[in-house]
Amino acid sequence: MDSVEVLVAHIQDLSGNPVELAHLHAILKQSEDTLRVQASRLVPFIEQLDPSSHSLGYLFLLEAYSSGPILRENISSFLACVVGFINFCSAEQIRLAPDKFISVCKRFKDQVIQHQVPIQGVAPLRTAVRKLQSSYEQLTALHSDFLFLCLLSKCYKAGTSVLDDEVLEIDQPRDFFLFCYYGGMINIGLKRFPKALECLHNVVTAPMSTINAIAIEAYKKYILVALIHLGQIPSLPKYTASTVLRSLKSYAQPYVGLASSYATGKFSELEAFIQTNVEKFQTDNNLGLVKQVLSSLYKRNIQRLTQTYLTLSLQDIANAVHLNTSKEAEMRVLQMIQDGDIFATINQKDGMVSFHEDPEQYKTCEMIDQIDSSIQRLMALSKKLTAIDEHISCDPAYITKIGRERPRLDFDDFDSVPHKFL
Amino acid sequence: MDLLELQDALASKSFQRIGEICDELMLQVASSGISFQQEWPYSIHLLGHLYVNDLNSARFLWKSIPSGIKESQAEVVAAWKIGQCLWIRDYAGVYAAIRGFNWSPEALGLVTAFEESYTKRNFQLLVSAYSTISVTDTAQFLGMSEDDATNYVLQHGWTLDSTSRMLSVRKPEIITEQKLDSSKLQRLTEYVFHLEH
Repeated sequence: MDSVEVLVAHIQDLSGNPVELAHLHAILKQSEDTLRVQASRLVPFIEQLDPSSHSLGYLFLLEAYSSGPILRENISSFLACVVGFINFCSAEQIRLAPDKFISVCKRFKDQVIQHQVPIQGVAPLRTAVRKLQSSYEQLTALHSDFLFLCLLSKCYKAGTSVLDDEVLEIDQPRDFFLFCYYGGMINIGLKRFPKALECLHNVVTAPMSTINAIAIEAYKKYILVALIHLGQIPSLPKYTASTVLRSLKSYAQPYVGLASSYATGKFSELEAFIQTNVEKFQTDNNLGLVKQVLSSLYKRNIQRLTQTYLTLSLQDIANAVHLNTSKEAEMRVLQMIQDGDIFATINQKDGMVSFHEDPEQYKTCEMIDQIDSSIQRLMALSKKLTAIDEHISCDPAYITKIGRERPRLDFDDFDSVPHKFL
Repeated sequence: MDLLELQDALASKSFQRIGEICDELMLQVASSGISFQQEWPYSIHLLGHLYVNDLNSARFLWKSIPSGIKESQAEVVAAWKIGQCLWIRDYAGVYAAIRGFNWSPEALGLVTAFEESYTKRNFQLLVSAYSTISVTDTAQFLGMSEDDATNYVLQHGWTLDSTSRMLSVRKPEIITEQKLDSSKLQRLTEYVFHLEH
């Protein structure tokens, strides 16, 4: 009992500057076992500390307290305590012990889910992500938890705050898989299909030695979103892990079948295929997306007509894509014009539609700005890539490995031009 | 519960920001652990999303509203009725949903502003999508009587063929900025420099 009191006194004395904090950190690490033993009795001690000036010590006590079982009547005070801590803690101090901070936040997340108040965790975890990361490019272990809470509480829009960051630094593969998978789901919900496709593509093509469940589920959604947005499934790039390329399709049979049925362009055929596989889609929780795939076929078929005809009557459109009335066809065309899917004008007097070329001529200031910003992003990215490449080629571990694989220097090694270019 | 920011935005008619403000306030209130659902201004929140045409956020907000509130607060249901019509693109239905409910004083300003902007948006849609359109359909899209709708579009330079009751759409010239300034040239130099190094 004494020792915790002494510890609290240390925390209060030694939270002033980096040197003191380093010393305090060492003391705290040594007392971890004591704290754990005392877990259930730590609350009065935590209350003696100030979350903003004694963040590091506060964090160790809070972590130890949350490691034990928390009584039901203490739950709401525990949640309030963590929320207050996340809001007021000093980012510099908690980054000294990121693992502790992550584990407190994860237990907090588990508690809000268990008590069915996921929305209570959304804002705090958003703050926690920002405090934990040293730059917006860094993916933390809390990103996926934050997105998961956004999904559960239906605050999809809140998730975009981290999804719009360009993530370039990743520590743990699992964080990345989950981040991209949940990110894909949020983007699907918000109908940002290009973004969703990018997220899901990242899951499927990420390096992995054995195939994992997240990648399989992501691939199923990837197929559906690709059909809705592009009308076909793009083939996976060469850098995809070979285990994935070999076995992914066999795990997603009904989805691959759906895609080939979609490719025929026949509405009735696709509908029948969905009917026979409806249970599988339902158990995967993908039925809603599958229905969107079905309805996107109308759009796709109308788009196909624009490639052949310059003008077409509404009745002909209705016949060609199997709609009941010409009015229905008119509404579909109108909707597509509104969404920017086609360029056309409807002439009600004659019941005709004329299709146009994309009026964008790529010479307005707006378009130039857009191209400009893309170029700048790519330049920044290529600089980053060069830097990483240089870093890796100087890495002792890498050099040793390469040296071991090529024990003997051949004449070829002195070749300045690689063979494939000769 | 501190909704001062929302009240300010409503009072100053910054309707553009209502949805966003409500989203943020809700997350803050929720994080403090207070049970806020009973007193939350859901109808304003929904209408705020609709005003900026953010149907997805409105849809997810509706899904998160406890069923007890959906049953007891008619205005919330009425606000969502507008959202439903927008979702299925039932243009005339949107106006019917707006006019078919007796809005509270707080919501009324927002609803009226939404209706105005919705009419403008639909007018732009007609301009971009039609070359000729019947008077009846125009009236439906604009939520007006046939005479009012005809007057409205005639003012924008459309013409009426009174025998067939068809309107011819006049598409305004789109003027776009195409001038380049010297900063663009500077950036172009930077790109070339980057490519060469």
